[in-house]
This record gives sequence, structure tokens and C-alpha cells, in this order.
Amino acid sequence: MTDATAEMVRADNVHKSFGSLEVLKGIDLVVKSGEVCCVLGPSGSGKSTFLRCVNHLEKINAGKIFVDGDLVGYHERGGKLHEMKDSEVARQRQSIGMVFQRFNLFPHMTVLQNVMEAPCRVKKENKSAVRDRAAALLDRVGLGDKIDSYPSQLSGGQQQRVAIARALAMRPKLMLFDEPTSALDPELVGEVLDVMKDLARDGMTMVVVTHEIGFAREVGDTVVFMDGGVVVEAGPPAEVIANPQQERTKAFLSKVL
Amino acid sequence: MTDLKQSERARPEPIKAVPVRHPGRWITIAVLIVLIAMFVHVLVTNDQFRWRFIFLEYAPGKRGVMFTEPVLEGLRGTILLTISSMAIGIVLGVVIAIMRLSDNPILRWIAFVYTWFFRAIPRLVLAVLFGNLNILWDRIGFGLPFDRQIGHLFGIDNLNTQFYSVKASDLLAGFVAGMLALGLSEGAYMAEIVRAGIQSIDPGQAEAATALGLSRGQVLRRVVLPQAMRVIVPPTGNEVIAMVKDTSLVAYVPVTFELFFQLNAIKARTFVVLPVLVAAVIWYLILCTVLMVAQFFVERHFGRGYGTTGQARQRLRDIGVEQGGRIPAEGGST
Repeated sequence: MTDATAEMVRADNVHKSFGSLEVLKGIDLVVKSGEVCCVLGPSGSGKSTFLRCVNHLEKINAGKIFVDGDLVGYHERGGKLHEMKDSEVARQRQSIGMVFQRFNLFPHMTVLQNVMEAPCRVKKENKSAVRDRAAALLDRVGLGDKIDSYPSQLSGGQQQRVAIARALAMRPKLMLFDEPTSALDPELVGEVLDVMKDLARDGMTMVVVTHEIGFAREVGDTVVFMDGGVVVEAGPPAEVIANPQQERTKAFLSKVL
Repeated sequence: MTDLKQSERARPEPIKAVPVRHPGRWITIAVLIVLIAMFVHVLVTNDQFRWRFIFLEYAPGKRGVMFTEPVLEGLRGTILLTISSMAIGIVLGVVIAIMRLSDNPILRWIAFVYTWFFRAIPRLVLAVLFGNLNILWDRIGFGLPFDRQIGHLFGIDNLNTQFYSVKASDLLAGFVAGMLALGLSEGAYMAEIVRAGIQSIDPGQAEAATALGLSRGQVLRRVVLPQAMRVIVPPTGNEVIAMVKDTSLVAYVPVTFELFFQLNAIKARTFVVLPVLVAAVIWYLILCTVLMVAQFFVERHFGRGYGTTGQARQRLRDIGVEQGGRIPAEGGST
């Protein structure tokens, strides 16, 4: 890990529009290395879009995003921004893991192949070493006995845990979670949150877009409340969740708690 | 009664009910049996079929018309032509489909024009056209483009920079012309099939692969195309079978190395019409049967990871219906 006070993610005045619809209206955010940052907010508030901007799945229209000190998606030379080539963007993404709401496992590959794909193809690592690491990761998320199953044979919670193992196989320094439990049956939410708590304890830097207030309160180092494309309130969970200052935060929390 | 525990209650007799009768099925079967009997009767008793002519001996000292040397040669030609033109068609189809979905507007435009042109021209016209394209050039080869015109500017007559060339009438005639006509035309249809397959894949798949750091090529090759194959294979089977039959069009190139042309030639020589046509029907039936079996195995290969989903989903749906509940939402990538 890098130095504990280093900034892993820094967003400066980030704007993003889809056509005439402005989704992000100036987001400022800092996530320190080793921190868990939970992003809360009503749907349509732009929190998922922001997360997708962090690994350049969406291009931002204005502002800057830095991951581990590097500008995302652009080179800055002589005060001018140059777009990165696809291959350079892909290289940046290698150190950022992402977990999606709908898992997006590759259905034509077994669980083990899903986890091995990126280290083998992208980093060209030794296959047997990757296999051992992948099996260990699957063990860690409690699926050591499912490595030869296809995703369609697993429950939603199991699929999401495979997706987490798949992202971890690239040894990322930052993990992004886009509503990882929203597509799950209520009884399966716990098993995925447990894996995420375990990751947090190990010191992984995480940005988690979620509706699980309990998780945010327990695991989050900072909680960010977003609405209408801006950060309404940010701070430790004890302040933002237990004692919100803004009216909009209060209104939202009173509905979900 | 109500305080009796579930386990203590006697299990009721299994239901033995009179099943619903289906008299319609029996009537259909009876009608079918009569029709089949009539058909077999015609095949066996009508002398016009001349089975000896088809299977055993069509002229003194020769084999039956199905197995005579020129016809077997023609069959070989038909198979070769089908394989080669489908190979061209599939490769071109994948390339053009990817171009059509590319970010590059020039590639998109080229792909569009290609599909527009080759889908617009009937295969018969293409076959004749390719058979006669060698009217345009003496020789076809590699060299500087516009060499003669450039030479003229500098006062050199007939500047020829071609370092490799062949006579056009050797290259663009017969088999090659037929293969190109069918293959290029097939490429346009395959492009649309492949495009449909690629577009049928959930964008989340490409997104997840991209987020892992895979390059665009890897995303396509490793994640999108293998899944798209499930959608691509059945219509491609259609195309192969259609191609087996369309190879008979190359008779207009003209190519004589082809099944129907050879059978037709025998028909013209012997004035025996129906048995020759029956022989053609039998050969085409055999070819297509083999292809359908092949398609079954290809589909099974690309269906891996899905087979159990279909059943599982059906089971879930049945349970949901039994309990009077809502059909469960289908989760994620499945």
C-alpha cells in the first residue's frame, strides 16, 4: 500500500452531461488510501455515473479526476490535455477493479475462467500461478467448491462474490462498487456485504455506491450524500448519517432508515 | 382435526384420473398413414422412376446416374464451392460487421456500401457478371496504380510497373469467378447476421471486460463474439444450406464442375428427365442432412454455460406459477 495519508481518488469540480441533461454539476471528492467511501443518494442523483467516470467508462466534460496521483483518461502536457489512446486507458483500468449491480460475469466461461481471464490475457501472467491465485481468491469469497460451475448455476449472491474475486485477481489498488447488492434477494445481501467488509478490514481502498445504510454506517470511513448531481453533504458516518445538517439529507435518510 | 400435525396425517392416494382424450391425433395419424402408403405405392409401382437407371446402371456398362463419374465429380465441385464460398462469406461477414459497428466513420461507410451493393444484386446476375469481368482487363496484377497515365505525363509510352500479373481470363473464370461471386454476396448477408449477433449481447458484458483492462480486440474476441455465436450459428446454418443449393447458379459463369450441371448434361444426352431430377433431389437431401447434423453439434458447443439456465429458468417459472406468485426476475448476466 502507498502512504496512508495519500489521496487515492481526487475529483476536482467534475461535470458530466448526457446531451442536454447535466448529470454531474461539479463534484469535489477525496478518498484517501485505505479508506472506504460510501456514496448514498436517491436514484438519478448521479452517483453511479460518477463511479463510472472514475475508471473512464464515461468521459467527463469538465473538471479532473485523479487516481493515485494520475489524471484519468488524459495526459497533461504543456498545460494542454491530450486524450489517451485506448491502450493507455486500458492500462490505467488494470489497477481499478469494478463490481457491477448486475454482476456481468461472462456466462460462457466457468467461474475459474472468469477470474483467470484478465490476469492471463491482459497481464500475460503465468497460467498456473494465476490458477492458484484465482482458486485462493475464490476460496476467500467462500466459493472454493464452485470453481468449475458456470455462472448460470450460481445464485445471485454467489455470482456477485465471483465478480468481486474477478476484480481482485488483477490486484487493484482501488475497488469501485456500483450498487453491488441492489439486484440481490434480501437474504443474499449479507454474504456479499461480508466479503466487502473483509476487504475493507484488509485495507483496500473502496468507493461504494449503495443503498445499504447499515453497511455505510458500519464500514464507511466517509459517507457522501449526493443529490441532483452535487455532493450535498460529506463526512464521517457519525455526522452524515447520525446527525445530518442538510434538509435534503435528513429527508432522504428519514425515508430509507 | 386442525391440531393434527402435518406428519401424522395420512398421505392421500395418488391421483388416478382418466386422461383427456385426443381423438384428433388418432384421425391425423390415420390420414398420414394413408398418404404415406400412397406415396410409397407410387415410388414402387410407377415405372417412370426407373430406379435401376438412378442407382444401378444408366447405360450399358455404366453405373447408376447418381454414382457415375462426372456426377461424383460434380458433387465434389458443389461441396468445394460451398465450403470455399462460405469461408469467404463468413470471414468477410465478421470483418464487415465489426467495421459496421466501429467508431471509425469511414469504416462504417465502407461496410454500409458493401452490404448495400452485394445485397442488391441477384446471385444469378453476379455469377454471370463475374464470369464476364475479364472483358475489362487483359492482365490483373500488382504494381503502381495509374502507371500508364503517369508514364504518359512524362512522355513514356505504355509504362508498365506491374511486377506480378496473371492473364485475367485465367484468373477470373470458371471456379474462381463462381467462388468470388457467391462468397462476396454471402459476405453481405453474413455481415448482417454477425451484426445482429453482436448487438444481441448485453452491453454490460463488454463494459465488465473493458473495466478489467481488456483491449477492444480482446473484448470482441474473448467475450462478445463467443456469446454472439449462439445467435449467429442457426441463421448461418440456413446460409450454408442455401449455399449448397445456390452453387447450381455457377452453371451460368459457366462452371461445369458442379452437381446439377452434370446431371442436367446426362438428362440432355439421354432424354431421361424425371429419374435424373430424382437423383439430384436425393443428393441435395443427403448433403443438407449432413449439414444439419453438423449444425446440431456446433450449436451444442456454443451453448455451453446456457443449457442449464434454460431448464432452471423454466423450473423457476413453474414454481412461481404454482404458487400463484409473480414470475421471478431474471438475474444479471444469465
